[in-house]
Amino acid sequence: MKPRVGFFDFASCEGCQLTVLNLENELLDLVELMEIVEFREISSAHGEELDIAFVEGSICRPEDVKRLRAIRARSRQLIALGACADTAGINALTSDRPVAELVREVYGDKGEAFLVAGRPRPLEAFVPVDGRVPGCPIDGGEFLTVLQALLIGRTPELPTFAVCAECKLRELPCTFERDVICLGPITRAGCNAHCIAEGDRCRGCRGMVDAPRSGPYYRILEEYGLSEEQIRDELRLYNLGGEAKK
Amino acid sequence: METRAATPLRSRPGPAETPAGTLAWYRLSRSDIDRLVRSLNSAYEVVGARCRNGRYTLDRITDPAELALEFPPRVHSPKKFLFPNWEKLFRFRLGGKIMLEAEKAAMPRVIFGMHPCDLHAVRILDDCLFEGEADSAYRAKRQATVLIGVDCEPDDYCFCTSLGTDRIDSGFDLFLHRVDDGYLARVGTLRGQQLLRRHLPELQPVDDPHLAPASKACRRSIRFPVESLAPVLGEVYDHPVWKKIGDRCIGCGSCNLLCPTCYCFNVQDRLDLNLKGGERVRTWDSCQFDQFTRVSGGSDFRPDQTDRQRHRFFRKYKYLWEKHQRTACVGCGRCSRECLAGIDNTDVLNSLFTEQATAELTPAPGVEYQPQMAELVHVEELTEREKLFRLRLPKAVDFRPGAFLQVSVFGVGEAPLTIASAPDPENREIELVVRAKGNLTRALHRLSVGAAIGVRGPFGNGFPVDEFVGRDVLLVAGGIGLVTLRSLLLTILARRQDFGRVMLLYGSRSVDAFLFRDDLKRWHLGEELDCRFAVQEFNARWGVTGGDITHLFRDLDIVPARAVAAVSGPAVMYRNVNPLLFGLGFSPDSVYLNLERHMKCGLGKCGRCQINDITVCQCGPIFPYSRIRHLREAIER
Amino acid sequence: MKIAVNHLARIEGHANLVIDSVRGTVRELRLEIVEAPRFFEPMLTGRHYSDVAHIAARICGICSNSHTLVSLQATEQALGIEVSEQTQSLRRLLAFGEILQSHLVQLFFMALPDYYGEASILPLVHTERALVQHALELKKLANDILRVVGGRPVHPVTPVVGGFARLPEAADLQELRRRLVRVLPDLEASVEIFGSLDYPDFERDTDCFSLRGGDDYPLFGRQLVSSGGVDCAVEDYRDVLEEYLVPWSTAKFARLQGRCFMVGPLARLRNNFDLLSPMARQVAEALGLTPDTANPYRILAARLVEVVHGVERAIHLIDELLLAGLQAEEPLPPQRHGRAVAVIEAPRGLLFHSYSYDAQGRIEQADCLIPTAQNLANIEADLRARVPELLETGREELTRQCEQLIRAYDPCISCSTHLLTIDFA
Repeated sequence: MKPRVGFFDFASCEGCQLTVLNLENELLDLVELMEIVEFREISSAHGEELDIAFVEGSICRPEDVKRLRAIRARSRQLIALGACADTAGINALTSDRPVAELVREVYGDKGEAFLVAGRPRPLEAFVPVDGRVPGCPIDGGEFLTVLQALLIGRTPELPTFAVCAECKLRELPCTFERDVICLGPITRAGCNAHCIAEGDRCRGCRGMVDAPRSGPYYRILEEYGLSEEQIRDELRLYNLGGEAKK
Repeated sequence: METRAATPLRSRPGPAETPAGTLAWYRLSRSDIDRLVRSLNSAYEVVGARCRNGRYTLDRITDPAELALEFPPRVHSPKKFLFPNWEKLFRFRLGGKIMLEAEKAAMPRVIFGMHPCDLHAVRILDDCLFEGEADSAYRAKRQATVLIGVDCEPDDYCFCTSLGTDRIDSGFDLFLHRVDDGYLARVGTLRGQQLLRRHLPELQPVDDPHLAPASKACRRSIRFPVESLAPVLGEVYDHPVWKKIGDRCIGCGSCNLLCPTCYCFNVQDRLDLNLKGGERVRTWDSCQFDQFTRVSGGSDFRPDQTDRQRHRFFRKYKYLWEKHQRTACVGCGRCSRECLAGIDNTDVLNSLFTEQATAELTPAPGVEYQPQMAELVHVEELTEREKLFRLRLPKAVDFRPGAFLQVSVFGVGEAPLTIASAPDPENREIELVVRAKGNLTRALHRLSVGAAIGVRGPFGNGFPVDEFVGRDVLLVAGGIGLVTLRSLLLTILARRQDFGRVMLLYGSRSVDAFLFRDDLKRWHLGEELDCRFAVQEFNARWGVTGGDITHLFRDLDIVPARAVAAVSGPAVMYRNVNPLLFGLGFSPDSVYLNLERHMKCGLGKCGRCQINDITVCQCGPIFPYSRIRHLREAIER
Repeated sequence: MKIAVNHLARIEGHANLVIDSVRGTVRELRLEIVEAPRFFEPMLTGRHYSDVAHIAARICGICSNSHTLVSLQATEQALGIEVSEQTQSLRRLLAFGEILQSHLVQLFFMALPDYYGEASILPLVHTERALVQHALELKKLANDILRVVGGRPVHPVTPVVGGFARLPEAADLQELRRRLVRVLPDLEASVEIFGSLDYPDFERDTDCFSLRGGDDYPLFGRQLVSSGGVDCAVEDYRDVLEEYLVPWSTAKFARLQGRCFMVGPLARLRNNFDLLSPMARQVAEALGLTPDTANPYRILAARLVEVVHGVERAIHLIDELLLAGLQAEEPLPPQRHGRAVAVIEAPRGLLFHSYSYDAQGRIEQADCLIPTAQNLANIEADLRARVPELLETGREELTRQCEQLIRAYDPCISCSTHLLTIDFA
């Protein structure tokens, strides 16, 4: 019997699920390998027991926690899909400010009275996670690799080295050469240095490697003239979420 | 006991390295080269440097106009074509049985634009990948690839001139020298010759133009001879410089990935989308990466960048030097050029040198072979054949017991002689024992007190005395082999409380042949040492057993588990004694042998002391048995 | 009868539909938005202008290109940066690429299964393989426009303040053009499919709000118009548009001069019918669309017309770019700082970003108004009108038709940064 797979989302842009749908060349083969029993974005079908649940998005509210636990309870394996699920991603950008203040800012004084929200957290803060596909958005190829590993019963593994290495392998010019700060040296590889190849810099959406050499890296940033505050600002975009895991 | 083949099975590198008879030269214009590229494109994938957005890369060239022959050193290494980052080793099918599908043959390729350093790098890859079981995936690509060299101008990061890799005389199929009105092609192989004949048939060879080698200037350099790198590094394993660069390193691995000689790789299975099959691929790895030295159980034997950077340097300049007598660095500067943390190989090496520089490391040519003069202060006859010499050196020296001195008598020659006295960094005087046997030793015997004797050294790795601390020590000496052990014994006795039981087994032809008879008598009667003697001629006065030294091993009361053995004598003794020691239960790590008699120049150059893959004077002459058990030449002959 | 559809499927984001009717009268009807709030405006506050579009794109994965483009425009206007013709053309191409991608996903993946009586497109992989392949091929082409120009379909990388970080290769644009030309005749198959659908017979006229194009069907622009007579400059959008909290709902809704209104494909088409490309206008007529069409189920047809228009315009844009030759340009630096409003016709309708910048090039205040937030009140109004007509058909059919109606708007809840949530204990 084909493995039963479901896709779910919480606070997110749903771009990671869309990235799965954007695998046009592979989609018809994928449908042969697994039975997609839940995918609200494109399907109104519902399933019960699941072999694999891919979950996108951060967890903010008590009802999110409840729904996440219910998904976990009926899934043999649960995979964090994308940065929001993996590290709280960009949602954690405001995590150092009180939620009530944010609510007042966006919704005015009336909103505060009936809004129930909490700090965005990654899935791992509430349930065990069996694997993850990092990135904002995820890399379609990496999603396939993780899926394949799960389908043949192998523990999915992510690269332990940094984006810098992939950048060198693609023979891309280092952004530091044009005085542009890049988070490639401490960010987990697996995206094939996509943003740098496209002319941008790495902003760290995939999260840091297991043992980032932060000290020497900050020293380099300081040599490039960044203040402590600016360094924190660089990391804040995606990498303060590590604190959100606690 | 594991055995190793006496000579490694070494497959020849694929391309015909044989020069094409007499070296031929051809004159080419740029339009000849364009025609060559166009013509080659029908049979080969042509690769060369081309400029995109101000940056040169080595890429497929279909339009000859795009091919650049003068380009800066700042391109990625051509390694990517010979040993690509992503290489399929084989295909497999899942489901029931596994079916192997062979990889297709390598694509014929011509690489235009190998700088001399990159050609040198290919030699290093050959050394490493053809060694033992040849890497057939590499061999296939190497064989199918035509290498065409071009010259290059060093930039700020190059230091090829320090390593002698700024020029090259072989290892290419063709080499294009830029001359005023075009190029002079130098043929390196038969294949190179045929390539020109086939694709530019109208070209006629020209006479050897006797090109003056272009002189290159590198801003960076290693300020001492390349051969001293390995010995210097041997002394600085714990040097603070490793932590200094380790603390800067961000572990990005760029230094390895860009290096033209780094070839460490990882192997992974990649599945087909339909999960019916897949391929096993290898991808480049880096000794700077976290996963690289993680072993089963999760521990990491080289856990931080300090260890990893040291390893990188040691591998480049020491380990592979000792194996292949070539540094695994060609001075291309790629690692330093692209290092965000600014780690620079020449800086690191030069700073180590400055601190380690001593009289032994000499900058001027030939100076390392020049002795200094010592004074003979005492001569004493030990036996009919052996005399003790006491020399006063120009300055006090330190060494390990087992080290040797190169001793010269001008007009006669030079020989290594083991030091018989204990090391004493305060004392300028040392003792040697000389057996009059050859020209030099007979000449020494003729000298009297006050004579000047040439000396170099001390050289060599002696006994690791500190590792013996707390253990029982068994010394086994045969004949003149006692000289070496005397140095060790005196060292031990000077700090006797640091060791357990100390036992000396000494075998000789006859009592008359005993060396250091006064010492032996004192030791024999004293409490510090348990001495046992064997002579082939029985002698009641000394109470010695008749027979050779193996007799002393009967009823030998020693606990091998807590003992080390130091054995010094002729090969025949090793042949007989080693099995007895191991029979008793000594481990190969705790038995030390002396291979001093093999040495000659003391610098690891002359090749005399090369026993199988080890140079005795550099790595020895004292070795733990485990290190040399595969050296059949040392132990069996 | 009480109907509650939790986590409505085949829309972007989380919403519930609750209907409570007694004896043929709808007593309560509400579209609950249960998406978690993500506070994008505070996220943007204090960020340097070079990061703003990157963050703004993440408001929505489905229309990340529109968010990026409008964000860049707002930033550039606030900082006094004028971009080149080439940059404008490439951005238009990107915008069309996203309209194609978003519309095709909605048409084939979200709407069509309703008309085939299926829960999703997945069962059609076996029963209607040719149709699915056709859909995937079209979708891939749209995505490839986004890949070539923007770097990737979701969260583009190359568009930056002042220009592009990387230009497309001419050869890649040529290849796109070849495929776009080839796909035009294939689109007839799609026209046939969506022309033959049995659209429910329902009309409710409403105020259609959009940009008014000058000589081209609008993407970017400065003039807002509505079929109900609004005609104002983009800068003054807050004068005509009002956001409000409603006690019985979870969302900030919006009204135009006090009334609910519609944005999106049908609104655009009705206000700019004369500016459609020739082939798109033919398709519109074949699908029975006119400047007066008031059946919201027919937003699907309007979407398909925009697909045809988008393909034609993309071809023209590529021609213009290739003819002029792609020139390397350095992105331009800021000239001043201040406040600016920008608007784009995103796939779902008008998308406003308004920023003010300080002298350091950091955002002081940001405001984003999303198309779906503008449509919500209109969707509810449609449902209020439609549900009484359907009460006789039974719970199942009623639910199906309501969902179908909601889907026709292609609401994008995850986009709706303003939407809040309350606990319906």
